[in-house]
Amino acid sequence: MPSAIEVHHLSKQFGPVHAVDDLSFEVAAGRVTGFLGPNGSGKTTTLRMLLGLVSISEGTATFGGRRYVDLEQPFRHVGAVLEATSFHPSRRAEDHLKSVAIGAGIPLSRVGETLDLVGMSDVARRRVGKFSLGMRQRLQLATALLGEPEILILDEPSNGLDPQGIQWLRTFIRHQASLGHAVLVSSHLLAEMEETVDDVVIVSHGRLVLQTTLAELAQRAGTHTGLRIRTPELARLLAILQAIPVAYRQIATDTVVIDGATPEWFGPLAAQHQIVLYELVNEKGSLEEVFLSLTHGFEAADPGQAAAATSGVVQ
Amino acid sequence: MIAGIRSEWLKLRTTAVPWVLTGIALIIDALLTLVYFINHGDGGGGGNGGGGGSFGLPDYPHTTQQLRNLLGSGFEGYLFALLLGVMMVTTEFRHKTVTTSFLVTPHRPRFVGAKLITAAILGAVLAVIMLAATLLGGGITLSAQGGSFSALVRQLPAVAPGMILVFALFAILGVGIGSLLTNQVAALIVSLGWFIILEGILVSLVHGAERWVPSGAATAASNLTRGQGTSFGLFSWWQGALLMLAYGLIFAAIGSAVLTRRDIT
Repeated sequence: MPSAIEVHHLSKQFGPVHAVDDLSFEVAAGRVTGFLGPNGSGKTTTLRMLLGLVSISEGTATFGGRRYVDLEQPFRHVGAVLEATSFHPSRRAEDHLKSVAIGAGIPLSRVGETLDLVGMSDVARRRVGKFSLGMRQRLQLATALLGEPEILILDEPSNGLDPQGIQWLRTFIRHQASLGHAVLVSSHLLAEMEETVDDVVIVSHGRLVLQTTLAELAQRAGTHTGLRIRTPELARLLAILQAIPVAYRQIATDTVVIDGATPEWFGPLAAQHQIVLYELVNEKGSLEEVFLSLTHGFEAADPGQAAAATSGVVQ
Repeated sequence: MIAGIRSEWLKLRTTAVPWVLTGIALIIDALLTLVYFINHGDGGGGGNGGGGGSFGLPDYPHTTQQLRNLLGSGFEGYLFALLLGVMMVTTEFRHKTVTTSFLVTPHRPRFVGAKLITAAILGAVLAVIMLAATLLGGGITLSAQGGSFSALVRQLPAVAPGMILVFALFAILGVGIGSLLTNQVAALIVSLGWFIILEGILVSLVHGAERWVPSGAATAASNLTRGQGTSFGLFSWWQGALLMLAYGLIFAAIGSAVLTRRDIT
């Protein structure tokens, strides 16, 4: 099956700045893809290049093989919620949607439907200038949904939403994927996306760090386990550990973490050497830690290794 | 394109600025109409002198030329058509609605094209509104002074087409300027600066410039159905109209080309 969104060797230069650098990834239909990276890593620029708002320096960004500008009725295929988009403050919410619907050749009946969908029917006749950030965000979403698109692009959509709003958005995104739609949603926080996404595309400094499934990323997090031990006899324990071929790191005056160790392995060892223990904790790396280590590690890495990173293995 | 024009028209209707500008244009139209009557009563019009009546001539506008001038009181309102055209484009950038507009119409020259056509319609509508207001206000005042309302109405075919044409051309020019200068403040300052100050200076300094500047071209175009009016030194109506249209379309074409390359971030 062809991918809903394909980005191939995409680059964007703003003067001397490489905002996006040889970026390639794909987004499949029926799945939610998290587009993750720190602020300033080129996510927004990439999404805007996909949508024809920002010109492409090199490479391609297509929907089912076609550029956004070449789509017959783009609003019927692709819905986008972007940051830094706004509304005319004196225009009423309903009129905004009507003007978009008319321009995009969408029946006006969709205006009421989308307002219902985002729970804004009661404020349809209010001027957008009086809306809160969260309401604007919902109105943007309503705008994106007018054409019942099979591809959704959401740039940091939870900005300005309250906790209920975020929960609602998650449910909404999952529902879209269950309809077979492709959803590409960007965020600088993996934690925010953990419960929502199937796949992740991680970028840093405009380059791809990793494209994989969330499951695989979680597995990777699982391999980062260690055993955290707090003991008043740390010096003695360290001396013992030095004699054994294990990797460990001291993280406090009385605490050490042994990589890959299990309580079943360490318990008998501690008993054998009669070491007093205050704390024995199985440490699992969180997804967020993996995410941070991936994006940070990549910043320090030699740019020449960027290509190797696309294979899915990053040190 | 039809969808684009309908969408643009709705955008215009659903914000405050076009209504406010039309309102201001009407107030100015009313003042100019009033001024016309006052000047005429003082003997300013027609050169009849203060005692116009003593020669047996009416004290109110009655000659063909006077009635046409009265009906054209709102002619200078073309500046409002220009401003509306400028704001049709620049408002999109000021309020960042252009992102959504470009998502709806990713082909940017088409976006400018829809605005050009909509502006032309808007300009024409503004002219009709101002003509109607002048006809009503001026006609009533005229009747009160003993003049003939129907004589004024009979001058409509001579005045209205030219005025409608000029307003449409100015609105087109406004869209052209706006698509080239998307910064609203800059575009408004340049537009008003040109038509209120610079153009006059240019015409007074450069011999023969009056027929080439937009105001001169527009005045020529306003003679569409007036026959030969006071257009000494100006082009014929269709030459003036073409020149005005050319200004608008050239600006719009350059603006479209620049917009097509522009990154909307």
